[in-house]
Amino acid sequence: MERDGAVTDEDPGPLVRLYGLTGGRARPPGEAFDLVAIVTTAKMPFEPSGLNPEHHSMLSICRKPTPVADVAAQLGLPLNITRVLLGDLRREGLVIIDPPQTADQTIDERTYRDVLHGIRRL
Amino acid sequence: MEYAGFDRPRPPGGTLTTTALKILVAGGFGVGKTTMVGTISEIRPLHTEELLSDRGVGIDDISGVETKVTTTVALDFGRITIRDDLWLYLFGTPGQDRFWFMWDELALGALGAVVLADTRRLQDSFPAVDYFEQLKLPFVVAVNCFDGARRHDPDKVRRAVGLDGTTPVVMCDARNRASVKDVLTTLVTHAMNRR
Repeated sequence: MERDGAVTDEDPGPLVRLYGLTGGRARPPGEAFDLVAIVTTAKMPFEPSGLNPEHHSMLSICRKPTPVADVAAQLGLPLNITRVLLGDLRREGLVIIDPPQTADQTIDERTYRDVLHGIRRL
Repeated sequence: MEYAGFDRPRPPGGTLTTTALKILVAGGFGVGKTTMVGTISEIRPLHTEELLSDRGVGIDDISGVETKVTTTVALDFGRITIRDDLWLYLFGTPGQDRFWFMWDELALGALGAVVLADTRRLQDSFPAVDYFEQLKLPFVVAVNCFDGARRHDPDKVRRAVGLDGTTPVVMCDARNRASVKDVLTTLVTHAMNRR
């Protein structure tokens, strides 16, 4: 973790195990999705079996629509690993992943002003 | 049309629209990108080693044995909650050239970018400036004043980097919250005016 000169006391965690979580995969199955795409847990009649604990945590977090990056932050997992696991859940129909709204398409003046206020308020 | 008491237009399903916006923090190696993200983020910023597939790397692979080449890249990100349904994410872009393809993904749909610069190594900021100019993504150049004492002239920086007249140049201290807020408000205002 230190090799790029970033000084951090953060435990890098069990990296080998993390990559094992995805079976060594770096890309999610199916169509690509953005790091800020919004993930929502699908309505399911019963709790699916055969999932690992990370998958279950993701389903729990995304009951409230949550950006991919935030799922990673809440679970303390690298972004790409999070994305692969979310891709698995999508493939099984357990989550819905909506592409994010892009700035030029949908951000109206009101949103810009809200963002400005939000930053100033920090 | 705006009505008091109705926060956001609701889609037919009745759920609130949820939006996550991206701001990129770019610049040369060691210029303070990680620091800037950490200064302003409300969550402990993630500094992760990302596992990547082989796009853009391994072009000289001649072994023929292992076709899938993986590598890791450090990526920082932080979050600012604007509203219940609106988040702003800051992504520190990987500095190494071979990770340009990641920039394409990070920049897609982004609100704008901050190019952090160090006057001792201004040339390190050129690739990021070129990139955002080509992409027509609104950006500001923020000069990280490490020394604190030396005053830098924004116009000199503007000329040295070859910026057009509209791209803002601001002095900042990436460790200082008020200063980073100032950089971000300058960027958002610039992006708003460019619409």
